[in-house]
Amino acid sequence: MNDQATTKVMKESKNKIKVEFERTPLLQRLKAKFLNTYFLTNVVWYAFRLILLLGISYVILYPFFAKIAGSLMGQEDFIDVTVFLIPKHWTLGTYKAIFLENHYMKAFAYTFLVSFSTAIAQTLICCLIGYGLAKFKFKGNAALLLAVIITMVVPHGTVQLSMYMHFRYFDIFGLFGLLNKIGVWNQSFLVNLTGDNGIWPLILLSLTGLAFKNGLYIFLMRQFYRGVPDELEESAYVDGSGTFRTFCQIIIPLSIPMMVTIFLFAFCWQWTDNFYTELFFSNAKKLVLMPDIVQIPSSLVTTYAGKNLYESAIRNTCGLMIIAPLVILYLFCQKFLVQGIERSGLVG
Amino acid sequence: MNNAATQPAAKAAAAPKRRKNHSLEKRRSRSGWFFCLPFILGFLVIYLPIIFNSIQYSFSHIVRDRGATYHLEFVGFENYREALFTNPDFTQTLVKGIGGMLIDIPAIVIFSLFVAILLNQKMIGRAAFRAIFFIPVILSTGLIAEIDASSAMLEYMTGEGASIDTGTKESTTSQIVDAMDIERLFEGMKVGEGLVETVKDIINNIFNIVNRSGVQMLIFLAGLQSISPAIYESCKMEGATAWETFWKITFPMISPMILVNAIYSVIDSFTSADNAVMRLIERVRTDGTNGEVVASAMAWMYFLVVLLIIGIFALIARAYVFYQRKD
Repeated sequence: MNDQATTKVMKESKNKIKVEFERTPLLQRLKAKFLNTYFLTNVVWYAFRLILLLGISYVILYPFFAKIAGSLMGQEDFIDVTVFLIPKHWTLGTYKAIFLENHYMKAFAYTFLVSFSTAIAQTLICCLIGYGLAKFKFKGNAALLLAVIITMVVPHGTVQLSMYMHFRYFDIFGLFGLLNKIGVWNQSFLVNLTGDNGIWPLILLSLTGLAFKNGLYIFLMRQFYRGVPDELEESAYVDGSGTFRTFCQIIIPLSIPMMVTIFLFAFCWQWTDNFYTELFFSNAKKLVLMPDIVQIPSSLVTTYAGKNLYESAIRNTCGLMIIAPLVILYLFCQKFLVQGIERSGLVG
Repeated sequence: MNNAATQPAAKAAAAPKRRKNHSLEKRRSRSGWFFCLPFILGFLVIYLPIIFNSIQYSFSHIVRDRGATYHLEFVGFENYREALFTNPDFTQTLVKGIGGMLIDIPAIVIFSLFVAILLNQKMIGRAAFRAIFFIPVILSTGLIAEIDASSAMLEYMTGEGASIDTGTKESTTSQIVDAMDIERLFEGMKVGEGLVETVKDIINNIFNIVNRSGVQMLIFLAGLQSISPAIYESCKMEGATAWETFWKITFPMISPMILVNAIYSVIDSFTSADNAVMRLIERVRTDGTNGEVVASAMAWMYFLVVLLIIGIFALIARAYVFYQRKD
């Protein structure tokens, strides 16, 4: 009863205020609403923010527009001064030539094989290592983290030569060499992993968490797992689940967004990579990889005035065709990219 | 943890013959090792030998034998001497490269923090903006960066407009601002020529900076997300302005991320193949006698210098970084 009375009083007072409010003329009401510093600063801030974001988006997207426009232009357009961004002679000939003459499908298939296998390996391995570093206290934990950071800090360019040599004459602590000398190992020399099939060094590096930027992935995973409450695993242990099973059934499903993020990075960076491809696949002439398709198709070789411009446009078209599959992948995965990082609780 | 700990204790009581040190802690630490095993193996078997060899190369000459073999000849600091004193470009490029890096790093960190704060606010089209801002991280790396660089190079060599204007590199045709504009802006402010040039470089380099700050933006976004909204709410109740809130709340809370990002940016910029020193090292590697080992020596010297910079960064930052939880 009492409650009802109070609500009734409140309703009445509310109505009173409403009436009071409506008695003030419209102009004054609008003035009060829109002509205060709070509202005005907000408007200015929103406009400023929008313009800024649009501007930076333009800076990011403009090169892609320019490249797409250039890829659709015919030869005549490159010597025509009046052509800017909008081609006069539309053609898909550049795409066609690259597709047919530069073995695009072959490069696509083989690069996909390399990128997919290494990215999957890297994602899973970095997951394991990150979990191990984050959730278990053991002697050497800090030292291991330091080792991870060292692998991140030492650029692979610095150790390029010895890395090549290491895989060219692959050996584990001189063990194979020793076997060679005794005569047990029936190979003429040490195992050459950079031979016809340069994928093995990459697979080995991925499986041990040493490939390109893997230190970053391990670090991200570790930070993510540190944010996962211990109680989750403890309850699993109490229910009789082992460490590994807990990891597979509870931790992995939790970290899917983060794993997709890392997979996306690993896949895309391997896809457009030229450092490792040139290092390890240099002997493998049979295989065609993405870096190999960046060349001028023989049917498009010309000697006319706009040659430089035209060839630069063709190379950029090659670039567009290389990233086209990544754009599709990105459209599917970008939701996870932000989600995964957002949930990681990276502080500390 | 306590609940789980009772289990093995009960087991130990039931079977007293079992070894005492087979405790939960020991088992946990063993599974820790097990999880890290791939990395430990790789580090010992692949990484350490590679590092060791690389250092060894930098102190020796490679002598090729007949056939496919080679052996190393120890020459002491010969390669280092050659890199420092005989090579005309190395010291100059190194100093210039480090100087450029010291300008770029703050620009990248500040820019990525600023954009992360913008992208963290609620607004229309936030998802779209986020998607656009992370495009360069994914797409403008490796091969694509190389193609862009070659286009810019071509343009530089053959004069204006020899390449389609993609706006990717600072070039003759795609300058956003002129030094003149900024000079006019700074007129009467009594600032030096150097600052004008720097500001101009940063603005014209905007694409480069946007390109290189993708991962940093992600890390900042994550850091911003982890700040409790309750803190902001109470700030607002107390009447703090946005400016105060930023300096008193956001900045201290995000400071560990600033350190991480500064270090990451240093590493990223000095390991990327398109910086001047790396290009020089690459050039030295492929030509001249003993180019490979001299390049190794150069790379290690470069690495040491950068390590020094990271160390100084970390030391300075340690005094200012605020950690929310200490563990």
